[in-house]
Amino acid sequence: MEHQLSVAGSALVIAFTGDIDLQTSPDARKALLALVGKGQPILVDLSGVGYIDSSGVASLVECLQSVKKSGQKLVLVSVSDGALRVLQLARLDRVFTICATLDEGVAAVE
Amino acid sequence: MVEMRANNVDLSSGAQLGVAPGNVHSHLELLADMGRDFATSQDLETTLTRAVQRITDYVDAEAGALFMLSPCGQKLGCDACVGPVEITGLEIAADQGIVGFCVQNDSGRIVRDVANDPDFNAAVDDETGFKTKSILCAPMSVKGERIGAIELINKRGGDGLFDNDDLNLLQALSVSAGLAVLNARMSAELVEQERVKRELELAAEIQRSLLPEEKESDFPVKGVNLPARVVSGDFYDFYPLDDGRVAFTLGDVSGKGMNAALMMAKSASLLRCLGKSIKEPGRLLTLVNEEICETATRGMFVTLVHGIYDPASGYVRLANAGHEPPLFCARDGSFRALEAEAPPLGISPALIDEDGFPETELNLDGGRLFVFTDGVTEGYVADGVELGIEGLKALITANAGSDAQEIMNEVRDRIGGTGNALRDDVTLLAIDDSRAVHTSDVAVGAAEPGATDAPGEKIFQLRVTAKANRLRLIRNTVRETASFCGFSEDDTRDIVLAVDEACQNVIRHAYGHEGEGDIAIEFRHRPDAMILYIRDFADPVDISKIKPRDLDDLRPGGLGTHLIGEVMDEVDFLPPPIDGGNLLRLVKKIEG
Repeated sequence: MEHQLSVAGSALVIAFTGDIDLQTSPDARKALLALVGKGQPILVDLSGVGYIDSSGVASLVECLQSVKKSGQKLVLVSVSDGALRVLQLARLDRVFTICATLDEGVAAVE
Repeated sequence: MVEMRANNVDLSSGAQLGVAPGNVHSHLELLADMGRDFATSQDLETTLTRAVQRITDYVDAEAGALFMLSPCGQKLGCDACVGPVEITGLEIAADQGIVGFCVQNDSGRIVRDVANDPDFNAAVDDETGFKTKSILCAPMSVKGERIGAIELINKRGGDGLFDNDDLNLLQALSVSAGLAVLNARMSAELVEQERVKRELELAAEIQRSLLPEEKESDFPVKGVNLPARVVSGDFYDFYPLDDGRVAFTLGDVSGKGMNAALMMAKSASLLRCLGKSIKEPGRLLTLVNEEICETATRGMFVTLVHGIYDPASGYVRLANAGHEPPLFCARDGSFRALEAEAPPLGISPALIDEDGFPETELNLDGGRLFVFTDGVTEGYVADGVELGIEGLKALITANAGSDAQEIMNEVRDRIGGTGNALRDDVTLLAIDDSRAVHTSDVAVGAAEPGATDAPGEKIFQLRVTAKANRLRLIRNTVRETASFCGFSEDDTRDIVLAVDEACQNVIRHAYGHEGEGDIAIEFRHRPDAMILYIRDFADPVDISKIKPRDLDDLRPGGLGTHLIGEVMDEVDFLPPPIDGGNLLRLVKKIEG
């Protein structure tokens, strides 16, 4: 698993690629939490994530909770079918704001 | 001492009584007497001084001296002297003076008047004030080895000149004195050699104590070691682990001497101590490699195989650090070599990537695994004929009906029994699965609820270390197997998720730590469903505590069990297998 950082509009974009599983989720968690507290909205691009497990989802949830406390916004964009399925199974598709594309995500946090 | 003094008296009185020097009987008596003195003396220096004293008295010379050639052969030093001037400790060049001449030419000499002899060195006279007139000198040498010379100066009485009779006597005496010196030197060397030998034997004894004690005859791991010298650079070890598995090690230190033996002791101790708590061969070798690299002598290294055998399942997991490929002899008699995938220990920690030394897993399935050093394959079984890997295979095949210990003894005896010195240490280790009764097949021992349930056809079984970095391998395997059973892409994705989550629970909750044990998964196929058995070998888990978390509780973790229940049609914890652990059954129906 790898991640890349970029900027879109006023938002910070973090794009993950690869599997987020028990082995890689600690790295994903660290990368996500590093963006918390910077004041800017966060867009998490999951288009390149073929597989995410409960520990990966837990990292997203932990980040969302921290973001809410600091008054930031966090939106998931371009979520792959595999990742969306897990979020749905965990009933988290209603907890996260999920946008189909990056542009929609940028618009949602403006 | 009393006897010696009596001899002295006899002798001097004999001389004083004027016994003719040519008296052969008297000569022989003197020589025999002095020879006896040399033979029985414990203190060479005193005996030599006494000998010079007696010959000087007997020949009736004014003075006598014994010179020894220094070990480097450059100097002659006076070791004993009698007469008016004390020159003990005097050193001259090895070719100086009459003494030097006699030593260099290994011949005796009579100098009747030193004034007419160009070889005479007057420096000593000048220094001591002694007046040398005539000299008799004979070399001490044994079988061409020059030791020194005895010199007599200024004959008293008669015409004051030494004669041939005197020279013959002195030469005879010099020979026995030379022999005595040589004997003393050799016995000193022998004492030293004996001391070194005793120390080597003590070292060898400690080394033998580092090898494992012989276990009961049905213990599945056995070894033999035949050192080429007293001490050995090879070692093997095996010991039961607290979970019923058996750890084994076989190593070969570069070199064969004492340095290799010490390195062997260090490596063996490190592996045995750490191997009882670190049950992952790859990680253990990584740690030991770091330790050896930190402290090893440059240029020394260890090739080594370390593994763990599970008698309950027949599985062996091993890591090979640059060692000879272990030879697996399957139940059907076929052979397979397991090549090394990593460098020897002690070369560099940088050559090993973060996953540690690579591990190989092998199901012995009733076969035998032989681990050995190159002293086996390169050992001579006849003049110039090495046993070779084919020879080893042939011996194993020919003795297939024998116990593994007997096979290894046969190999050892073939190489050690040629009568020639061994070229290298011979060490073998065998892991014998041929008598094992395997109880750990995944579903074995599980009392299936609803016995009418057809368990279906077993498709595949997988067993891996319970580690996070193996999950990807598990997911890929499950994906392929589910797809093979005819599941849709979406269902396949769900099954992959469920198995992954179940394995995570094993790693995080059943074992508690990474790499503590194994996960085994059995895939079974029924026309209407796929059944998965997921087994661990940890202490039984309290099933009542494994509940899906309340989904409103968004604390990290705890989602796994919920996800499994969401995607699978049946999720059951079965009663623990008879040999312990936990067994989970997952069923996914194939949508018609």
